[in-house]
Amino acid sequence: MSVHALHKMKAAEDSAPRLDVVPNLVRDLGGITHLLTCGSVDDGKSTLIGRLLWDASDLYEDQRETVRRSGRKAAGTDLPDFSMLLDGLVAEREQGITIDIAWKYFDTSTRRFVIIDSPGHEQYTRNMASGASHADVAIVLVDARSGVKKQTKRHTAILDLVGVKHVVLAVNKMDLVNWSEDVFRKIEADFRTLCWKFNFWDATAIPLSAVFGDNVTNPSTNMAWYTGPTLIQHLEKTPSRVSEAGSVFRFPVQTVLRDGQDFRGLAGTVTSGSIKVGDVVVDTLSNASGKVVRIATMSGDLDSASAGQAVALQLDVDIDVSRGAVLSVPDARPTAAQTIEARFVWLSEKAFSLTDGYLLRTSTDLIPISAIEIKALLDLETMASRPARACTANDIAIIKISLGRAAAIDVFSEIPETGTLLIVDSVTGATVAGGVATSVDSRAEAAPEGHFVLKRDMLANGLNRDLSMSSKDREEFMRRANEVAILLRAAGVAVAIEPPPPVDDGMDPGL
Amino acid sequence: MTASPSHLDLLEAESIHIFREAAAQFRKPVMLYSIGKDSTVLLHLARKAFFPAPLPFPLLHIDTTWKFREMIAFRDRTARELGLDLIVYTNHDGIKRGINPIDHAPSIHTDVLKTQALKQALDKYGFDAGFGGARRDEEASRAKERVFSFRAAGHRWDPRKQRPEMWNLLNGRLGTGETVRVFPMSNWTEKDVWRYILREKLEVVPLYFAAERPTIVRDGQILMQDDDRLQPRAGEKVEMRKIRFRTLGDYPLTAAVESEADTIEAVVAETLNAQTSERQGRLIDHDQAGAMEKKKQEGYF
Repeated sequence: MSVHALHKMKAAEDSAPRLDVVPNLVRDLGGITHLLTCGSVDDGKSTLIGRLLWDASDLYEDQRETVRRSGRKAAGTDLPDFSMLLDGLVAEREQGITIDIAWKYFDTSTRRFVIIDSPGHEQYTRNMASGASHADVAIVLVDARSGVKKQTKRHTAILDLVGVKHVVLAVNKMDLVNWSEDVFRKIEADFRTLCWKFNFWDATAIPLSAVFGDNVTNPSTNMAWYTGPTLIQHLEKTPSRVSEAGSVFRFPVQTVLRDGQDFRGLAGTVTSGSIKVGDVVVDTLSNASGKVVRIATMSGDLDSASAGQAVALQLDVDIDVSRGAVLSVPDARPTAAQTIEARFVWLSEKAFSLTDGYLLRTSTDLIPISAIEIKALLDLETMASRPARACTANDIAIIKISLGRAAAIDVFSEIPETGTLLIVDSVTGATVAGGVATSVDSRAEAAPEGHFVLKRDMLANGLNRDLSMSSKDREEFMRRANEVAILLRAAGVAVAIEPPPPVDDGMDPGL
Repeated sequence: MTASPSHLDLLEAESIHIFREAAAQFRKPVMLYSIGKDSTVLLHLARKAFFPAPLPFPLLHIDTTWKFREMIAFRDRTARELGLDLIVYTNHDGIKRGINPIDHAPSIHTDVLKTQALKQALDKYGFDAGFGGARRDEEASRAKERVFSFRAAGHRWDPRKQRPEMWNLLNGRLGTGETVRVFPMSNWTEKDVWRYILREKLEVVPLYFAAERPTIVRDGQILMQDDDRLQPRAGEKVEMRKIRFRTLGDYPLTAAVESEADTIEAVVAETLNAQTSERQGRLIDHDQAGAMEKKKQEGYF
């Protein structure tokens, strides 16, 4: 058949009177689940994802046909090699991207699934952490013949670190252990023990065979002893991060919108909690507050907005709040942090250096780091920390940071959405580390030993002698100080900036 | 509280978040507007992101002079009705050299009139960020693309300079000479684009709907004779067929499908039932193995 004839045929097929099904097909799906798969090729990762796509998704027919026609068989069976569906994602096309994550999308009848795939090779810590930071649920894959291994421990530790709350242990290759319940129960028990030290809300083990499809989409007839859900049933019921966001309201301001008349809206996405018209919101950095009078979107004003919604808030007073502020309700604010401690995954090939200039990126703020100190490295197998002064790619480091000015930050374990951080190289702009705040302090701290301290007096008498004590000038003072520090660091000097005196805002410092 | 947000609500909010981050972080952004359905959705999302303020950046259309006439009419009407700041740029040097998609290999035409033209325009106006409608589901080589995709001086895509992206934190701090392409629709699929067009009642170029059009069949593909620059070769003839397009580009490089779908609902039904992925209709992708990958390295989207 000619290509042209094929087109004609397909077109005829496609446009057959299927209009009756339109309302059903265009129905929005009930949500999005981001799914991370952890494991090595040996554990059958590609086969499992391929099997999910084959059995549960809306694959195009031409993709199915490619698999059928290829004649490639899964090892030792007469079944098609489903891992082919991942070609171009996992095996092929190594692009040399340092952090290498592939995204794949499929729909079941009720949900959008996004598969986040990161390679399982040796340098996987930073890859996996990066991928896991987007995941609602992670599938940790193990081979039924070998069970929970050291690698499984590292995987679960990374998932916990970046805030994944739902974990599935996929005990694969059950066909190779004669579908044995005893084998599965032993692995399940090991997994339970392992998960106890983490903060998962749900950790479920499922026995399956990716090659034969048992308990992937279809319940297994080989394991009548297993009465739990299939993998896809379980995944479809797993809530997403955004739907499980906490109840404390946070709204990082991205930008200020003006319509040229009287509208001045603070634009952003509600990251947790909700807000309604009439509520009072406060910017913890400036201590300015106002009442929400309008929640604007192009589709119409809203009475309220909750986690995940992108809106613009108009307040009753024109307070000087701009990008970087995190709005909250007055009695549950983020900390106006001067000092933080955080767990970071070091992402860059370039190791940490005391003489590099770094910036800290929060939800919508970018703050100069005035002093940074590695305290310890974390062992992912034992979760023990050992003192250290240096770190490099794939390390998990506990890092203490003093900021050039205050920034609105939450402790990650309390409000994860506004407790995430990136460390940015101030010269190249590269993202060198990603992490989560473990403690935040509104008090500034003395510079660590061995640093040249840029004293305020020194700066005030020379470089900054044209500046007053107004808030604008105080900002400019710190901006210049930070620029000087960046230049000095580029010249190889370890520099810290003497912190500014606390602003007297009439608040109890204990708040 | 209302029902939990649907997947389109979530995708829309994510795109708005990305638009706002980029507009706030970059000095002089521009939206790369290609007139097709993805651009239509991209433009709608941008308007939502900054409502009620006007768009804080202009639109840039790279005109190869080979677009369907209906596309140009649609472009100009859209810009007029929405009060957009539209920049149209053509690589006149390439036109003067006689480069065209009929006599030259698609790869040469695309390089000169699209890739080079885009670089020239970005340099001419000094844009440091360009919004594009590319999606990760389009092609395997795009599956690893970042939301903020960095370009070294000369617009080259260097895999080692791509930044990891974690949580919803977008780091747009540029190094010397760097620019960035921003993809707010990274996580949308082709089906989502159509679903959203239907949901938001967006108007698209009429070429997406089936109509009787003059066609030439060449190398097994149905081409539309949009003007007299495309002439039948020996053994070919111009025939009327009821066709529509799944993607839009330069008309001699864009294959049509025969279809009866002449309403938005019918097109959506056809797309959602489609048995083949959309890029089959785009001839430049078949030009050489790993075509998209190569074009990306060279600075094409």
